[in-house]
Order: sequence, then structure tokens, then C-alpha cells
Amino acid sequence: MSAPPISTTSWRRRTSLVLALVLTLPSMTSPLAALAVSQDASPDLLIARGGGGGGARGGGGARGGGGARGSGGGGDFGGGRSGFQNTGGAAGLNRGTSRPTGGWSQSVRGNAPSPGLSRPASRPSGGINGADRTPSTLGAGNRTPAGLVGGTRTPGSLGGIDRTPGSIDRSNLGNRTGLSSGDRSLGGEGTFNRNGNLNRGNLDGNLNRGNLNRNVNGQRVFNGNVNSNWSRNWNVNNVNLSPGWARPGWGYARPWGTGWYGGWVTPGWGWWGANAALWGISTLASAAVINAAVDAAVASNTTYIVVPQTNYQLLFGTVQPVGSQGVSFLVQADDGSTYNLTADCNAGTIDGVAPNSAAQAELLNAACQVAYGSAS
Amino acid sequence: MPPPLLRGVLVCAAALLGSCLVPAAVHSQGQPAPSKATASKVLYTLATQCSLAGGPAQPCTVEAIDEGGTTIYRHRIGAQTIAVRITDSPVTMAIQSGTSTTWVPLRSAGALFSTNSICFNGRELCVVNPNYLNSVREDRQDLRLQGRDLVKVHFGPDGRVNATCYDAGCEADLR
Repeated sequence: MSAPPISTTSWRRRTSLVLALVLTLPSMTSPLAALAVSQDASPDLLIARGGGGGGARGGGGARGGGGARGSGGGGDFGGGRSGFQNTGGAAGLNRGTSRPTGGWSQSVRGNAPSPGLSRPASRPSGGINGADRTPSTLGAGNRTPAGLVGGTRTPGSLGGIDRTPGSIDRSNLGNRTGLSSGDRSLGGEGTFNRNGNLNRGNLDGNLNRGNLNRNVNGQRVFNGNVNSNWSRNWNVNNVNLSPGWARPGWGYARPWGTGWYGGWVTPGWGWWGANAALWGISTLASAAVINAAVDAAVASNTTYIVVPQTNYQLLFGTVQPVGSQGVSFLVQADDGSTYNLTADCNAGTIDGVAPNSAAQAELLNAACQVAYGSAS
Repeated sequence: MPPPLLRGVLVCAAALLGSCLVPAAVHSQGQPAPSKATASKVLYTLATQCSLAGGPAQPCTVEAIDEGGTTIYRHRIGAQTIAVRITDSPVTMAIQSGTSTTWVPLRSAGALFSTNSICFNGRELCVVNPNYLNSVREDRQDLRLQGRDLVKVHFGPDGRVNATCYDAGCEADLR
């Protein structure tokens, strides 16, 4: 006859009691062992125990204020847990046996950075998280991704933004105060991001002409239309949007290691020439632009990039190779749905069909760059 | 029955053996590793770049071997072989060079995600190992590493982590 089942909760209570007994009897146990429990806690946790105040990025130790996100304050000690978190996770490093999404790479592709911990003196394009942020830049209001900041913005030198009358009808732009917080004075020191990703078409529907908008740089922004054969309403909650490689250094961390991508300025796709002329475009977004977008997304803990000159949001962490020249990915389109698509980077197709718009061509290009393009 | 982990804690608590909370540290103090019955499993072999003592990058291979609660990273750099042994719970690291059979506890380790590098004992051994960092990242979905690039850990005399820093915090003088 088996003993009645004992719930895990019950055992936890008993364990807590026993541990409490042990810890209150220092003479009967190793002081080192008792101390070691707290030694393994990261500084984040130690700060979080204090209940907020003074930590990096908003106070409270862990980011977001008041401890780890979602815990409602108190870091890992909230939510009725025992208070002894898994010490294996406290050090920031582990023994590295969790097989990441995408698996293990067998080689590091050429021209990888030299091994070392030397951080660059200045932030590279796209930025390194926290590498050289001064305390004054840690506030939530001005963390514009590196490489996208316009620098000093005097009224007479507007950093490449075409402000000649006629390029954009500003009378239609309406109230612009919703774009960013306070510091929008033109005489300010580069704290305001007026980069090309800012889609003014989203500000006021009056700018929407047919299937395109215009952004700040006067570039066209094509609507993210969908094809009828695209599989929609993918449940992103069931997808890992942040695999291990989607982090700083992602270009060399992509675990598939090898692959194929043309890296062209003028694609060799059969449909490209006539369609590009029809759409009025001559080139697609460069690798550098797409890499910078991913870098910026990584730096800001964002799971998607806005595909250049489109309204598509590519969930870049879902990009995975298919064979040696294909790629699968999730993308969110104008209709608010999420689509799971497969592109052939060599044939230039999405779900087996040539793009029917410039936006879809940009989407194809961006997904292939993330999968197979050169690392920055 | 309680879960295995709790059973272990209860045994330790009942026996009042403080040392049972630091099992890995005990056998990392310059002693040969105890023989394990656990079968070894090669996780991957990576062709990559290493550097020694801050020297130039040079080709090397990294063989990652899972031995149960321990992972061995065997770096082959030219004629040299340097192994690093890492345990979890608690995190400890030890290094073994050449033909030595002795594991020497590490003083420090650091990782810079943007360069996919991890270094041991300052710059005594640095290696580009995206697999390791991908695994760390994937295992740390609790936001602790989110937005972090540089992570350093320092080990105390007992072989266990006694300090962790991130990014600019690694330049802070906390004395």
C-alpha cells in the first residue's frame, strides 16, 4: 500500500522550515555554506532585495524599476517564491549546454571579431548595449539606437532631411507632439531621432496616397499588403521570438553558419527589372541598413524590425534557414495579422510566388539578409 | 516523495553538512576531478578563433563535452590543449592546461556578446564561441541578460562566483 501523496507545496514548506532551522543555527553548520547562498546572487538581485532605488535604468536594480520585470517589485523574491533562486542562473553565465534554437554551429564564419573582451571606444553602428552609455543617457526618454541619431541639429543644418517646400506637405501632418517626449528643439544636441524609420504616414492619414506613404526623408513607404495565399494569424505566443542568436553579435551568432545570399544591388531575379521599373525603385535596402535595423532592435529589446520603406514588421528572431538558400520567418502586415512565410532567396519568391509589390520585394530582401547576409 | 532537489537539500540540512551546498567547489581546488559514471556526450565541435595571453587570434577548435553536471570545453590551439570545466549550481570554472591532470579554479571569466567572445582568467584564454553564448542567452530568458553585452564573473577562493558585473558596471570600483 502506497503512502498518501505529499504535495510539492507541502514539501517546500517543510524544506523552508528545515532551512530556516539550519540557518538560525550557525554554530551547527558551515558559515561558508550559509554565506555562499547569498554570494551566488547577482548584484541585480542584491539590489532588488532592497526594494528599489538607485539601480541602473530606472531604479530598483533590475531594469524597469523595482526588480525584475513582471515580478511586481522585489526582484526574484516576489510572487511567493522561496527566496532561493536557482543559483545556476545567478552568475550571468552557465555551463552552456542548453541547445539553442537553431542548434550548434560547427564553425565561425570568416572575419569574425578577434576573441577578447575589449569593447570599442565608440559605439559601432547599431550600438553595443550599455557599452559606453553614460549615466545621463540611461533614462528611458533618450535611448535612441546608435547610428540613427542625427547629431547636432541646428535649424540651418538639418542632417539630410529634405525640408524644401513641396517635398512633404507639412500642413497635413497635424499634431506632431505624439512622436516623442519633450526634447524636440531644433537647437538641441542630437537627442531627437529623426531617422528614416519615422513614418509620417502613421501620423496623419492624409499623407497616404494609394499604396504608399512618405517618411521624413521623403522616401516612399510602401504599404505592407498581403497575398491571398499567405498563411495568416500565426500565434506568436507559441514562437520563440528571441532565440539565443538574436542578440548583440547576431551576425556571427547565427547558428546555421553557412548559406547563400546574392548580396546584390541589382538582383538577378527574372521578375526584378520590369517590376522594379513599374514600382519606381532601383535598389533594395542595403545590408548595412538592415543590419543596423536589427542591431537597433536588439539594443532596444525589440523583437521586430520595420522592413525599410515598408510597413512590414519582420520578427527577425523567427528567421530560420530552409535548405541552403531559403528562409522562413514571421511577419506582421498592415492588416495586423502575423504571417508565416517562406522565401527562396535565390529564386526571389515568397511562398513560391514573385513579390507583387515593392514592399514585398523589400521584405524578401530583408529576410534573406537577416538569414544569410554579411555580418556587420 | 519530495522532488529530488528537495530530497538533497533535506539530506544536507538533516546532516548539517554545510559542505553539501558547495559540492563542486570542493573538488575544484587543484584536485583531479572525481571519476564520473555519467557518459560523456560531445555537444559540438567548433572551428573558430582563440587567443592566448592577449596574443593575436589564431585558429583553434573547441570541443564541448557534456558530462552530466559538468561541461568540458577542450580548446586545441596549434599543439596546445587547454580545457575549461564549468559546472552549474553553483557555477564554477576550472582550467587544465597541457598534460596536467589538475584542474585549477579560475579567478574570473567574461563574455562579450557582441564579439561572441568569452575569456578566462583575464585574457589568459579567449575564444570566439557563439554556441556557448547562444546557449547562455537561451537559458536566460528571464531578462537578466536582456540588453546586456559584457558580463563578467569573479570567483572567490572557494571557486564560487562572488561578484558579477554587466557592461559599464564592470568598470566600477566597488571597494
